[in-house]
Amino acid sequence: MSAHQRLRSLTLMAVVLIALLAGCGAPAASPTTAPAAQRQGALRIAFEIPAKLDPAFASADSEIAILNAIYDYLIDVNTESKIVPRLAAQWTTSADGLTYTFTLASGAAFHDGSPVTAQDVVWTFDRLRDPQLKLPTSSLYENIAGITATGDKVVTFKLKQTNPFFLYDLSDNHALVLKAGTTDAATKFNGSGPFRVVSYSPENRMELAANDKYFIAGKPGLASLTFIFFKDQTASVNALRGGQVDLVMRMPSALFKTLQSEQGLTTVSIPTNGFDEVRLRADRKPGNDPRVVKAFKLATDRKAIFQTVSLGLGAAGRDSPIGPLFKAFYSEETPLPARDPKAAKDLLAQAGYPNGLKLDLHVPDSGDRPDLAVVLKEQWKDAGIDANVVVEPESVYYGNNGWLEVDLGITGWGSRPIPQFYLDVMLVTGAKWNEAHWSDAELDKLAKTAGTTLDEAERAKAYKDIQRILIERGPIIIPYFFAQFGAVKNTFTGFNLNAFAGRTDLAAIRVK
Amino acid sequence: MALTIGDLTVSYRQQGRWLDVVREVSLSIQPGQTYGLVGESGSGKTTLALAVMRYLGEHGRIRQGTIELAGLNLLTLDEASLVRARRDLIRLVPQNPQSSLNPSMRIGEQVAETLPGLSESEGKRRVLALLSSVRLPDPERVMQSYPHQLSGGMLQRVMIAMALSGEPALLILDEPTTNLDATTEAAILDLIRDLIRARRTAVLYVSHSLSLISQLCERVAVLYAGELVEDAPVGELFQRPLHPYTQGLLDSVPRIGQNKRAAELRPIPGQIPRAGERPPGCVFAPRCHLANALCEQARPPLDTPGEGRRVRCHRWPEIAAGAVGANQIVERYGFRVHAPTRQRTTHSAPPVVLAVTHLQKRFPVRRTLGEWLNARPPRQIEAVRGVDLEISRGRTLGLVGESGSGKTTVARCIIGLSERSGGEVALLDIPLAPSIAQRAPDLLRRLQMVLQNPDEALNPYLNVGEILGRPLQKLAGYAPADAARGVSRLLEAVKLDPATAARLPGQLSGGEKQRVAIARAFATRPDLILFDEPVSALDMSVQAAILNLIAELQRESRHSVLLISHDLAVVGYLADEVIVMYLGRAMEVARTEDIFTPPHHPYTEALLSAIPVMPRPGESPLTRAQPIHLDGDIPSPMDAPAGCPFHTRCPRSLGEICARQEPPWQVGQNGRRVFCHIPLDDLEKAQRTNSDREPRVDF
Amino acid sequence: MADEGAPPFLSVLYAQAASAFGTSVVLLFLFVAVFGPLFAPYSPTQQIASEARQPPSPQHWFGADRLGRDVFSRVVYGARDIISLAGLGSLLAVIAGTLFGLISGYRGGLFDELLFRLFDAFLSLPSLLLALLLLGTLGPSRNSVLIVIVFVYTPIVARVVRSVVLGVRHKGFIEAAQMRGEAGWYILFREILPSVLPALAVEAALRFSYAIFLVSSLGFLGVGVQPPNPDWGLMVSEGRNTISLTPWALYFPVGAISLLVIGVNLMADGVRRALQGEA
Repeated sequence: MSAHQRLRSLTLMAVVLIALLAGCGAPAASPTTAPAAQRQGALRIAFEIPAKLDPAFASADSEIAILNAIYDYLIDVNTESKIVPRLAAQWTTSADGLTYTFTLASGAAFHDGSPVTAQDVVWTFDRLRDPQLKLPTSSLYENIAGITATGDKVVTFKLKQTNPFFLYDLSDNHALVLKAGTTDAATKFNGSGPFRVVSYSPENRMELAANDKYFIAGKPGLASLTFIFFKDQTASVNALRGGQVDLVMRMPSALFKTLQSEQGLTTVSIPTNGFDEVRLRADRKPGNDPRVVKAFKLATDRKAIFQTVSLGLGAAGRDSPIGPLFKAFYSEETPLPARDPKAAKDLLAQAGYPNGLKLDLHVPDSGDRPDLAVVLKEQWKDAGIDANVVVEPESVYYGNNGWLEVDLGITGWGSRPIPQFYLDVMLVTGAKWNEAHWSDAELDKLAKTAGTTLDEAERAKAYKDIQRILIERGPIIIPYFFAQFGAVKNTFTGFNLNAFAGRTDLAAIRVK
Repeated sequence: MALTIGDLTVSYRQQGRWLDVVREVSLSIQPGQTYGLVGESGSGKTTLALAVMRYLGEHGRIRQGTIELAGLNLLTLDEASLVRARRDLIRLVPQNPQSSLNPSMRIGEQVAETLPGLSESEGKRRVLALLSSVRLPDPERVMQSYPHQLSGGMLQRVMIAMALSGEPALLILDEPTTNLDATTEAAILDLIRDLIRARRTAVLYVSHSLSLISQLCERVAVLYAGELVEDAPVGELFQRPLHPYTQGLLDSVPRIGQNKRAAELRPIPGQIPRAGERPPGCVFAPRCHLANALCEQARPPLDTPGEGRRVRCHRWPEIAAGAVGANQIVERYGFRVHAPTRQRTTHSAPPVVLAVTHLQKRFPVRRTLGEWLNARPPRQIEAVRGVDLEISRGRTLGLVGESGSGKTTVARCIIGLSERSGGEVALLDIPLAPSIAQRAPDLLRRLQMVLQNPDEALNPYLNVGEILGRPLQKLAGYAPADAARGVSRLLEAVKLDPATAARLPGQLSGGEKQRVAIARAFATRPDLILFDEPVSALDMSVQAAILNLIAELQRESRHSVLLISHDLAVVGYLADEVIVMYLGRAMEVARTEDIFTPPHHPYTEALLSAIPVMPRPGESPLTRAQPIHLDGDIPSPMDAPAGCPFHTRCPRSLGEICARQEPPWQVGQNGRRVFCHIPLDDLEKAQRTNSDREPRVDF
Repeated sequence: MADEGAPPFLSVLYAQAASAFGTSVVLLFLFVAVFGPLFAPYSPTQQIASEARQPPSPQHWFGADRLGRDVFSRVVYGARDIISLAGLGSLLAVIAGTLFGLISGYRGGLFDELLFRLFDAFLSLPSLLLALLLLGTLGPSRNSVLIVIVFVYTPIVARVVRSVVLGVRHKGFIEAAQMRGEAGWYILFREILPSVLPALAVEAALRFSYAIFLVSSLGFLGVGVQPPNPDWGLMVSEGRNTISLTPWALYFPVGAISLLVIGVNLMADGVRRALQGEA
């Protein structure tokens, strides 16, 4: 899989919020079923057309949303980025951190009536990690040494090495539990989830009805659910305005802004961990001079960018991928220096650029990135930096690893449930996608510590130091974090938007 | 009455103004009568014909008047009745049959469409009968053919067949032979004449040519600038024209046998006024040599000078009485055939200016893909197959023939616009390279050509001064400062106002353009000027002036002329010697004085008999000698017949020998040479008897 | 008639309502392109964050866009950009096309055959597709767009010129020139070129309007002129994303493109009528 393809799938694959590494399970929900009478109302959701509906291959929001309604994850991540039970009612971790044992909820059953057993879980994850099948998840799970059913309802995972983030890995988008031996997951939809498929007309719509025997109390809250497919987001939003659908998620910020003033709708906007990163190559001129890096940082007004480019939606950034949603790690201890183009100009002069600096600013044509580039160009102008904006199609920008080559570029990074990911792939020395070609021994050491320790406090300290280093000398500028949007008819309640829209819990929605 | 047109005025909208194109015209045609409508371009004759059909389009309208056909008032008919009237009562034979026939339908189907309500077998029988009645060879095959598979003459026969289906009350023929060759034209006219005789259909025959009209029509109406200026039985009109315009028309084209040395043509000065620029008095007054103050102020009434005659002229009584213009009338018919000429008084032979020996021209034919794949050798069109000619200083050689005869190719090979494939061309004993690009400037100066179409011969974006100034500077050695004077002198030489220099060709009439084109050729003081159809694109009334100009310039500057024309009368008028060409070969070479008298080559004989001749005073079309029919069309030059090229169509063919063996050049009196197997004596005897058999009858 | 002198060109263009309108529009835009910077209230790239997304007002006649730039100023500066780029591009294409068309049409033969088969191959591709292919290799920039316009439109102009040349090549006045022994260049430029000019004038105007469209389309697709240049197509592309928020940032550049293209076309019509009326 090439770098840009991977990165694009990452951009799509925004997963949940604040990483609280709860090694323990939440109390299991009681396996009673809600009385059918309580379920009423029908919800129509607009989504893009799904392409792949086999969980092992699904990645788009629409696909995950559908599958999340039909199937169950072993464990789930809630909107606060906390691990919560789903099929597994509870779990334990061994002291050495290498053995995880899950107990499945009683009463969980597939739509065909057969109960969900430990064998089904073993089969599901063995399939996902099978190197022969070359599924997208095989590398994610290569640290698993073995999975065994240690009882009808008990599953044990053994790891090769400790992994502080293993539970997040288990709740990966693809990790929906299938009945053992399933070969037609994309067409038969025999899940254990809150809704069962009534009819599916590809590229048009999918009708679902409540699973009356669902094992989680009070769910689902609706009698039926309909996914209606649209070619693009504008059409979805128009359908919401016209009353053809009740719920829309994922839309451009401008469209969301207009929905905010619409009557009869509840609009939701939440920040995510995804962000746009402006980076300067640090391994050669001019970025190898710390004064130049500093000058760029001083020439930039992040707040203004957040207000104009992001329309104030999402969150302002502090040049670090550890955003405010990572509540346990985020820190504002180190002050962000105020914009000072004069000082920036002086720094450039000291670095040997008395007449300013002229550089191409490469930017993919997607999202708000061209706007960001244009605003940066204008801001930097005052500091004597003449950025020539080069907008390229995403395929060109990421093609042939060009994005890793250019001196000055803007790259979008998708939302991830844990901050370690960003450090490991884009900031440590020699990282696969270290676009800035940056190498900082102190940061490398801190990142290693954070990624291996099982001590939460030590990890938090390391992340704090990393944020300070990035503000001081990191050759990157992160001006903002993206927002995720949703809008629903205000006759519904229980809509709790997830940063990865596809993972929003539709079973929790009910009629007011 | 079959057709009665009363006081008809038709207007066209031009740039927002309604201009009268036909003004207050009345005429009526009786059943069985053939009525000629003659006029130059811009006279309104076609508009009048279209008005009868009520085909005027959105820019035309009938302002006043009546049109009654077989008792029906055509102007008050509703759309449906009009369509029915057009279908049942009127038939039109147009100038261009190609554009009137559907190219994707078989001829049989198209003819059958004019015969509604017949069963299939009955329809087919009728179609066959119709096609046979117009003397189409092999009508079965014609029925199955598509229009593109037939020649122009055959298509025109089909059109006539279609026009004669049913029993139309009126048949309109709009220049039906204008696009046809002379021999084909004669055959079509012949056919029309026979068909008209056999029926009681009223016929309106529209033509620009008085001589054509004279072949067919009992009555003639002369239109000028939208007005009917004279209307008379054909014999009387030719015998005693009462309108100066009619007189002028009769004078302005040479008749067969009339030569420049015997009588000069009398051109009508000026040009036809455009619609909207009509003079206040008589429309013809600005060009009329008899016009007086009255003519310029008051529009003459349409008088009736005699039974069945009408004329719109203030001075017709004087003309009728011979009080004015008498000298013209006498001189007009006073042509004679002279043997000796004024110029031939010097006995030392003048030097030869142009000598052409065995000129050949082959055009390669593009091979089709199939031929190319089968490795067939490329075929060739042999346009000119060995022509010899010689022109002496101050002399004029005429090259006459139908289209496809190769006469224009001969001229183009001489000038070098086409590269000859064989033979020699020498100008004043200097051999000429085949291509004009290889010829020295001095040779270019000595040899010039006046091209066929004056509209295309002048660059529309250069003014006359630039057009004429360039050859003066480039070849005649004029300094740029003197060029303007040279241009003025040239314009005067061709009788144009020197102010013309500032005009663009688009602002000139056809005759003026031709004068400029002649001036351009004349500018370099060449030794030889080639004229390719110098008057065929011009209106009748200006032809005479151009022919006179050509003759006059030559008289003054003593250059030699090679004249290309399909018109024996034009060649006869200008040339000293004539070559008759057929299929790329010369058939006969003779002095102009001799060419009209036997013994002719059989092809010359056919040409002569085919050319419509204006009746002499008192002649009637119905009693004129029948032309000789030539069967079929000219064979393709791609596979010209062996032996005598003319044997496939020759009415006097001897059979075997003509088809096998190339004829000898027989030499007769005065250097006449005839390319024929038939001994000259036999030819002369046969041809004299032929003309005796159908003596001309005087009224 | 000649004595009265040919009517002045402009008055012919103003004789008809449609071409009068078109000519006025074109003149207006030319005026804006030349003098725009004198009356544009803001720089086209100046961002006033606090005034972002303001609807049209006395302060911002056409409103402010999402980044706080004055849309009126951007449209005005954009006129200069697009008219100079499209104008220069179509002018070069007309010159190149005329040369190709004249020479190839007059000489004929294998050269003509090969050249125009090649041109036909180009013409068989939609011009936008051809432009995209070219820009893919050249990389997006103002000069690339210029090259693309010339490259895409030269064959079209050449074809028009050649067709006129073929119609004229065998006319009598050309043969008359040959009979005088004129050189090839004299025949091409003195005898043939004037006949080509009317068609060329119309074609040039049409090419200009298509070039405006092409530049805008390329800007819209993001492969032409790069941000933050006030390119109309780019403005449309950017404005499209925020149509619900700042519709004025979309409508004014769209209106400018439509008005100018329609104006040039109507004027081209008038030019054709004027030249035909004259000939």
